[in-house]
Amino acid sequence: MSPRRAETGGRIDRLRTIRFTFDGAPYTGHAGDTLASALLANGVTLFGRSFKYHRPRGLLSAGVEEPNALVTVLRGEVREPNIAATMVEIYDGLVALSQNRTPSLAWDIGAINQLGGKILSAGFYYKTFMGPAIGPLKGTRFWMLCEHFIRRAAGLGKAGTAPDPARYERMNAFCDVLVVGSGPAGLMAAKAAADQGARVILADLEAHFGGSANWSSETIDGMPATDWAQRTVAQLEGNDNVRLLPRTTVWGYYDGNTLAALERVTDHKEAAAKGEPRQRYWAIRAGTVVFATGSFERPLVFPGNDRPGVMLAHAAERYVNEYGVLPGQRVALFTNNDSAYRSAVALKKAGAAVVAIIDVRSDVSNEMRRLASEAEAELFAGHAVVATEGGKALTGLKVQRFDMMGGALGGDARSIHADCLLMSGGWSPTIHLASQAGAKAEWDPARQAFLPPQPRQRWIGAGAFTGSFSTAEAIAQGRAAGLRAAGGTASSAPLPAVEAAPGDPDPAPVFEIKAEGKSFVDFQHDVTAEDVRLAHREGFVSVEHLKRYTTLGMATDQGKNSNVPGLAIMAEALGKPIPEVGTTRFRPPYTAVSIGSLAAERFGDLKPERLTPMHDWHIANGATMCSAGLWYRPMIYGLAGETVEQAYVREAKATRESAGIVDVSTLGKIAVQGPDAAEFLDRVYTNMFSTLAVGKARYGLMLREDGLAFDDGTTWRLGEQDFLMTTTTANAGKVMQHLEYFLDVIWPELKLTVTSVTDEWAGAAIGGPNARAILASCVTGTAVDNATLPFMGIVHGQIAGVPVMICRLSFSGEMAFEVYSRAGYGTRVWEALIEVGKPFGLVTYGLEALGTMRIEKGHVTGAEIDGRTTARDLHLDWMLSKKKPFIGSAMMDREGLIAPGRLQLVGLISLDNRPFNGGAHIVEDLDEANPHGSIGHITACCYSPALGKYIALALVEGGNARHGTRAFVSDPLRNRFGPIEIVSNHFYDPDGSRMHG
Amino acid sequence: MLITCPYCGPRDVIEFTYQGDGNRKRPQPASQDLDAWNAYVYDRLNPAGDHNEIWQHSGGCRAHLRVVRNTLTHEILSTAFARGGHKTESRS
Amino acid sequence: MAEHQLPERQSPLEPEYHPGSHGNFEHGVDVILSETRPGSILQLAAWPGEEKRLIEAIRKVTGLGLPDGAGGGVSNGVRAAFGFAPGKFTVVDEAEGLAAAFAGAITPAIGTLTDLSHGRTPIRIAGPKAEWVMAKFFAIDFALPAFPLGAGRSTNHHDIFAQIQRSGADQFDIYVFRSFARSFWKALCHASEEVGYEVH
Repeated sequence: MSPRRAETGGRIDRLRTIRFTFDGAPYTGHAGDTLASALLANGVTLFGRSFKYHRPRGLLSAGVEEPNALVTVLRGEVREPNIAATMVEIYDGLVALSQNRTPSLAWDIGAINQLGGKILSAGFYYKTFMGPAIGPLKGTRFWMLCEHFIRRAAGLGKAGTAPDPARYERMNAFCDVLVVGSGPAGLMAAKAAADQGARVILADLEAHFGGSANWSSETIDGMPATDWAQRTVAQLEGNDNVRLLPRTTVWGYYDGNTLAALERVTDHKEAAAKGEPRQRYWAIRAGTVVFATGSFERPLVFPGNDRPGVMLAHAAERYVNEYGVLPGQRVALFTNNDSAYRSAVALKKAGAAVVAIIDVRSDVSNEMRRLASEAEAELFAGHAVVATEGGKALTGLKVQRFDMMGGALGGDARSIHADCLLMSGGWSPTIHLASQAGAKAEWDPARQAFLPPQPRQRWIGAGAFTGSFSTAEAIAQGRAAGLRAAGGTASSAPLPAVEAAPGDPDPAPVFEIKAEGKSFVDFQHDVTAEDVRLAHREGFVSVEHLKRYTTLGMATDQGKNSNVPGLAIMAEALGKPIPEVGTTRFRPPYTAVSIGSLAAERFGDLKPERLTPMHDWHIANGATMCSAGLWYRPMIYGLAGETVEQAYVREAKATRESAGIVDVSTLGKIAVQGPDAAEFLDRVYTNMFSTLAVGKARYGLMLREDGLAFDDGTTWRLGEQDFLMTTTTANAGKVMQHLEYFLDVIWPELKLTVTSVTDEWAGAAIGGPNARAILASCVTGTAVDNATLPFMGIVHGQIAGVPVMICRLSFSGEMAFEVYSRAGYGTRVWEALIEVGKPFGLVTYGLEALGTMRIEKGHVTGAEIDGRTTARDLHLDWMLSKKKPFIGSAMMDREGLIAPGRLQLVGLISLDNRPFNGGAHIVEDLDEANPHGSIGHITACCYSPALGKYIALALVEGGNARHGTRAFVSDPLRNRFGPIEIVSNHFYDPDGSRMHG
Repeated sequence: MLITCPYCGPRDVIEFTYQGDGNRKRPQPASQDLDAWNAYVYDRLNPAGDHNEIWQHSGGCRAHLRVVRNTLTHEILSTAFARGGHKTESRS
Repeated sequence: MAEHQLPERQSPLEPEYHPGSHGNFEHGVDVILSETRPGSILQLAAWPGEEKRLIEAIRKVTGLGLPDGAGGGVSNGVRAAFGFAPGKFTVVDEAEGLAAAFAGAITPAIGTLTDLSHGRTPIRIAGPKAEWVMAKFFAIDFALPAFPLGAGRSTNHHDIFAQIQRSGADQFDIYVFRSFARSFWKALCHASEEVGYEVH
């Protein structure tokens, strides 16, 4: 057994030894230990170096508020810094490192900063970076040199760079009652609500439910409090309507009673089971929340209050009672309230010598005097600690007479030999989540604490959270809160009886002892009482400014220890009462939250993949896939050794010479059905659809309400009241939403439905001089000749036993057909067409060749319909019906939208036979040194096999009038300059003779 | 933020798409009153307080809703189908 | 129509569909995942005020009596129907040809019929941990009182839209867009590893 571990007591399992390392040295602990308790049991007092001054620091607390003992935990290559040792449960093989020390914790060269304390005072960041006025390092240059060293010296643990292989998950949960905190109040609330039949979630950030019952020395219902707690937990476990979440920190309270919590699922295990997440992010929607979050004991501010061995009183009680570890042999206590006296008794019982209780109050009650004598402690009423002694561990302290009224010290200092000093500056309710929920906390002068605000959302407080610090009150309030939250009525049944040490919950209003030496307010950010006063002297009056200037409360502990003492010192400096100084509002998260848990299942590919029915065929047949929104589409089907350009040129050429086939299943498809479908289409498209015959398709253009072009595509009339609209791949979702908006909001009287059928149909576009012959040799049930299937005609037939719809329309400019089959047959039809097409020289082609052929034809896509162009700009004014209003018709002829100088769609030909780049500018006069004078830009470009030239589509000012003129491409980013000719966007077969056949 | 869809019940705001100011009045389709069109297309109320808004339950039943929301507190006061019909009062 | 002569449909899940036990299954599997592959999936939509007539048409054609109310539904193991939006219903049959059966029943006076037999992929999750795994994906309450037997819900998981029907006390059928089905299936398998899963 280690030197400080008691033979019995606590919740640890002495039969199970656990081996771990800290800074490379091997240690052992027991199951149930935290890293803090295990190291303390091994006699370790030095846990870390402070943020700014590199002062040695030990354990201040035993819980989540720990500011000093921050460690880095290693899992293989993955390092997680800034974890409180008090929250790390040890497991076999745990590797933990101390932080902010070079080269070692015991010998830290940064400790020299302690000598430079005057320079490193509050706000030093802002002041010191004003450099000398003259010399080679004048201005800020000198400080830029220093910054490297300052940054290294300041700070906490180092983040890792190795990818984290752990799994994180998100979980959605619903409950009637969420109970946060599992002390006596929380347990009573959960039990009462569960007994009412409510769905209850009980969450506690600790590994074991019970809260203060686990270490309080009290009895509840005639048994040790911890046994009562375990019995209650066992009762809850048996309920189907209760979910118990240990190791789960509720860290955010959002609108609609939605709370965020982080469950540490496997951090305490050697390894996760298969599929088990390391952490789970719970999004909990609760009918009512019961806050039983307890309270934090506050440190006192006095010189040397940060020395290793100075600890919060209740933390020592916890180490003794919960872990069987004595934090010291000779213990002194320093307090402004009664609660420290029961800690003294607990330490005495555990075998420590309690050498002194120093109480700032001269008037100590008889009950407390009795407890002091029970602890066999010398009582120094009306005294204060004015100094501590020792290096990396406490050796003693000095006390002086103290006048509570004026804060004056008097008399000779007396030295007391002690290796542990416990302090208690009163208690602050843990109101963080309630504060997040919206209202302002209220200062209670008796409790000297901020009490929870009036609820704006549906929550109820219980126990120490409300400022009621006794266990009896916690039990009564907990039950009442649980009943109320579950919609039950108040119960008059007897409550479990509590036996507890007496004590007045109200502390003396003393937060600081002013004496020579550094007195720390914020331990983690090394903010001293003097820093707070300095901020005041320099004119900071707002608590928000104070916080930012001194960084008080801005460390990873978010001021859990320092908030109230800091405010009290500021208030005194300002000469105002604390409520007038105010407090800052707490924000989420309550404790640090891993990025992994927020990302949860969105790891690797951040978005789902959308695959066409023929996806696997493409992969198996050599396609290089590219993403198009969420879709994956073949870019090219490259042959061995081919470049991308060689591949698409070959594919496009073969299509124009014989035939090509491309997967167009990604096109948005919307079923527009109902008696008013045709009328609706007339309103949303610029051209007429009510005149379209059944069995025919028409190319349509949509505008936005502001008159700019929105989307284009063909719509097929399959029946009198049945249309199949196609949209561009990219805009499918937007068009759907646009249609739904008009149906729901603007024209609810129209009888029609719009349904996304994109995924119902597999589409293959087959084009080229041989396309019709290929179809003719595999389609049954219909002819495909010009009479049966004219341009924009639709026929129904079968291919390979599968029903298909075939529409003769062309994007490539060739005689072309779109063949639609139900998605589950897509590959079968595709393979049949490929097989039949072989003797006809049919090739598969991808997006690159598709793009090439559409550029050759001058068709527009999203690159040209870019939200800034009008139908006229794109030469689509022939589609603007004058016979009817349509969406955008009223706004499309506004002055600016018909101005002659607008960017208009043109074609470009490279005159130097070099490729273009998308986005390159067009200029009239080339000035490579000082590029300027853009008259437009390239929207799409390719090598055109049909023309044997590099060509592009572009939007150019007054482009229509520039056909046949020369200009230059100016692309300074990619250093591409050269002469071009501006031409019509219809490069290839402008009269359409090829597709009309 | 939760929005109570009259069909689906309370759902997280992530399931919804904001579809604009609900106070806009679309002129008659054939109207040539450019000022009215301009007001409809571009003018938006931006009150600090209760606001009429259109939201689509795009990640659910896809219905458009008329939502009264307090822009200061995010409180949803009422929701109703934009097409008309069922209305849900949410203010507690 | 000679539907029985149609060739077999290709499943969008195929390369990722691995029958057998997976994940943390040494202590038993807690969910079973499968693709139900029904022959027919229809969307039926009623004009406002015609919902009752549509529900009656569903009863006549399928024998399924839909309960009143938003998201009400029923499943008999062979056929299933549920509301997923105002006036809109999904009707499913193991057999093909349901669209033809409805053709005369859904007149233009009542509403519309859209055949989505290929466009939606139903994935079934069943077992004691089905609710647990579903809660990883969807922010809706899967507890039986909140989500009764037969009922339908429309929701989404990030970009993946889903209609969900509770087809058993611990069984859900998730209808996703076919193009997203494989991606969703992979995510569902991944999320089920923790509890151990079997693919049927």
